[in-house]
Order: sequence, then C-alpha cells, then structure tokens
Amino acid sequence: MCRSDVAAAVALALACTLSHAGPGTGKAPTWPGIGRPATPAEIRAWDIDVRPDFKGLPRGQGSVARGQDIWESKCASCHGVFGESNEVFTPIVGGTTRKDVQTGRVEALAKGTEAQRTTMMKLSTLSTLWDYIHRAMPWNNPRTLGVDDTYAVTAYILNLAEILPGDFVLSDRNIREVQALLPNRDGKSPRHGLWLPTGKPDVRNVACMRNCAPDVKIASSLPDHARGSHGNLADQDRNRGGLRGQVTAASATAAARGGEFAAVKELTGKAACLGCHGVDRKIVGPGFNQVSEKYRAKDNAEAYLAGKIKAGGQGIWGQVPMPPSVTISDADAALLARWILKGTPE
Amino acid sequence: MADPMRIRAKIEGDKTVVRVLMAHEMETGQRRDSTGKVVPAHFIQEVTATHNGKTVLAAQWGPAISKNPYLQFQFAGAKAGEKIAIAWVDNKGDKRTDEATIAA
Ligand code: HEC
Ligand code: HEC
Repeated sequence: MCRSDVAAAVALALACTLSHAGPGTGKAPTWPGIGRPATPAEIRAWDIDVRPDFKGLPRGQGSVARGQDIWESKCASCHGVFGESNEVFTPIVGGTTRKDVQTGRVEALAKGTEAQRTTMMKLSTLSTLWDYIHRAMPWNNPRTLGVDDTYAVTAYILNLAEILPGDFVLSDRNIREVQALLPNRDGKSPRHGLWLPTGKPDVRNVACMRNCAPDVKIASSLPDHARGSHGNLADQDRNRGGLRGQVTAASATAAARGGEFAAVKELTGKAACLGCHGVDRKIVGPGFNQVSEKYRAKDNAEAYLAGKIKAGGQGIWGQVPMPPSVTISDADAALLARWILKGTPE
Repeated sequence: MADPMRIRAKIEGDKTVVRVLMAHEMETGQRRDSTGKVVPAHFIQEVTATHNGKTVLAAQWGPAISKNPYLQFQFAGAKAGEKIAIAWVDNKGDKRTDEATIAA
C-alpha cells in the first residue's frame, strides 16, 4: 500500500510516486525521460510494511513449537536461548508480569524498577515485532525468514514472555486477539510533541537574546589524575564538525599520520569494526590483539584475514557470527588485515 | 513461591549442554530504597542439578550473582529423553525445583 506516513521509507515513497505516473494510472509521466515507472512486482517487493492495524500483514501461521526450533537455530546465538541476551545485546524478553497482561501497561516501566528495558516491556503494537523480524532478522541474514516462520518465531517470543501458551498457533486470523494481550499495549502515549508533525517539542532550548552571560565560565573539570583514564578523547571523537573531544592525553595518532595505515581509521570507522572489536579486548568479536596473536606466525595470514573481513564468519571465536562487510574493497580488506596482524599500530 | 525456571537441555556431541534461566530478585543487601532503608539481602545460595538421582552440579552462590541468573553447564553420560532436575535454595529458605527432558 502507498501511505503518506511520516515514517514511510524514502524508497517506498519514490516507488509510489513513480507508480502514480505509470501506465496503469493513465497520467502522463511527470518527469519525461527520467527513469521508468516501477513495475507492480517491484513495488510489491518493497512494500512489506505491516501497520499497527495489521494492514499489509500476509496470510500465514506458525506454532510456538516451530518457533522454538527457529529461535534456537537462528536467533539464540545473539539474543540468548531465553531471549535474555545478557551478554551482548539488549534483552528481548523479561520484565513483564501476568498483571501487566491484564492491565495493558507495564508496571516496571512506569516505576523504573527494571535495570534494563526489554523489547517486550516496551512493545505496544504486535505488528512492529512481526514486521521488524520479517524485514531485519536474523541480523546477519535479513529477509531470509519466510512468512510462516516469522509467525512461528513471533509466537515463540510471546511464549517466552508468558503471554501465549506452548501449544499456540499464531496466524493472521488470531493476531488481533494476541495484540489485546500485549503487556504494554496501552503504554504508548500520543500526548507529546513527537506524535504529530505540528506538535510542540517537549524540550525547550531557548537562545539567549538579552543580558546574556558574555563568557562561559567552567565551574568544574576532571582532576588531572583522572583526565587520561579513557585515553585521549580528541582521538576518539569524530574528527568533523564543530564539537571535538578534549585533548586528555598525548595524541597517539599524530605520530603515524600519513604512514602506511593512515586510511585505517576511516575504514574502521565506516565499517564500525570497533563497535564489535576492541583493539586489546573482546567486545562482540575478539580483540584485534588476540587475532594478531593467533595468526601472526601463520603463512598466508594476511590473505586469510582479508577474506574473513569481507566474508564474515562464525565459530572460530564463539557462536556469535561476524556479518560480511560487502562495501570493503579487496585492497582495503588487505590493509586492515595487515594492520591487525602488525598489532594495530597507530 | 518463585516463578518456574526455564530449562533447556540438549545433547551436543558426547555432552549434554544445560541452560537455565532462574527468576529471582537476587538482592545484594547493599541497596537502599527511595526512603533510604536498606533493601534486605535475598539471593540464591545453593544450586544443584540432578540426573538419574546423581548430582551433576552443585554450586554455592552469593549476592554477587545478577538478578534472574542465567546458568549454563555441561555434563557427560546422559541420553536423550532422560530428565535433568535443577533446584535452588535461597537465603530465606525459599526453594524451587524444576525439571526438563533432555533433547537429542
Ligand atoms: C548476528 C546477531 C543476531 C541474530 C542471529 C539475530 N539478531 Fe535480532 N538483533 C540483533 C541486533 C544487533 C539487534 C539490534 C539492531 C538495531 O537496533 O539496529 C537485534 C534486534 C532484534 C529485535 C528488536 C529488538 C528491539 O527492541 O528493538 C528483535 C525482535 C529481534 N532482533 C529478533 C530476532 C529474531 C527473531 C532472530 C532470529 C530469526 C534474530 N533476532 C537473530 C542481532 C541478531
Ligand atoms: C557485528 C559485529 C562485528 C563487526 C561490525 C565486525 N566484526 Fe569482526 N568479528 C566479529 C565476530 C563475532 C568475530 C568472531 C567470528 C568467529 O568466531 O569466527 C569476528 C572475527 C573477526 C576476525 C577474525 C577472523 C578469524 O577467522 O579468526 C577479524 C580479522 C575481524 N573480525 C576483523 C573485522 C574488521 C576489520 C571489521 C570491520 C571491517 C570487523 N571485523 C567488523 C564481529 C564483528
């Protein structure tokens, strides 16, 4: 369906615009000579969103039991067998009670008693869960779950959250009844500025126009002995824009500017490598120093690692997979591999 | 009484891998509530796993274990279809035992 929702994806909006001008509509194209109308099949391939009223939800069904198989083979490596995800990602399940299922408002959310908010605590529309899984999960392989499997794994998540019984079969026919059981179904409030494009923001940043303080006076700062405890902030913050990190320690990068690995910082930044790898510690993936230690002495280590950087992998350092990096060129992958093997010189 | 544990037990190679999620507050006794009163310690102290009447894991826990603890361990010598039982006792004497069937 073509909708004019604020949130509609740009690509979808474009597809809709083009199709309005297409042969089926009888109108002449608005911009002659530019592109061609999208075919109905192309639009269908893009048009996968499921709305809160379940418009767009394809027909199908899936059982909790089937969902458990899918969850344990395709999702548990990242989200935990029970959706508790306590090591790496935020938990999917937890923090909701049977009472919440009755009231439709998650008590722990209102009172702030849970240390960490889970997906199930926040979720107010079941369509969002279904749609998100269908379009985006598994993270390393999106759009590979079929419709029935999406129903099944959604049912299983709801079973883990003790909303659905173990013998339940979720389908397009009963999903509205299940929506009426969501613990936080009444937790969403439209009474704030973000809800409408014309709404008033709920924060106010009033620029000073009169009698303004001429200078900013710094009232307190980190004591010297603590300044460097997270390294040099100037090196860690992005190097564009008006706001820069303070120099809190001797710059480590300055020395190597223009050297063999000058491009590494931008590459690792673009591909978000350091979100998953610490230089000297494991985050989601192994620390780069561990990788270097493991392969430094091996033949062909550079080619091997370059291949792995591009293709991703799983099972060498644990069960969490590394997604492929499709946008990295062979030369850049080789440079990164060399950089890692040499012990990530600055 | 506390909520049931979730238990998954599965044969992987020559071992059985058991994963358990327990529902427990695990209060350390170090926290204060909004009125400044210490929240009394309340935590699981003993955990036992039993297979065919034999203890395959016994653990003594303290207040440093997180809320809703997740436990994973493996042991040898079980067959698919057999049962594994997990039990805990906390410092107030509350206890809970749950069972799961080992999957192939
Ligand atoms: C390779 C790791 C990985 C795998 C495997 C994986 N996920 Fe995810 N999942 C993530 C990450 C990372 C996020 C957060 C993504 C983001 O915020 O952009 C996420 C987010 C989610 C969310 C939304 C959580 C929220 O509150 O926003 C759901 C639901 C979810 N995953 C379900 C699944 C299901 C179902 C599967 C199996 C079919 C699966 N995931 C497999 C990594 C993974
Ligand atoms: C989403 C998290 C994530 C991102 C982003 C990521 N990695 Fe990884 N990486 C992993 C995980 C997890 C592993 C361990 C995989 C395994 O066990 O086989 C890994 C493994 C590796 C390895 C070792 C491969 C092996 O066979 O031993 C190298 C080298 C590596 N990553 C480099 C990179 C580089 C360079 C980037 C950026 C281009 C990057 N990674 C981005 C998660 C990530």
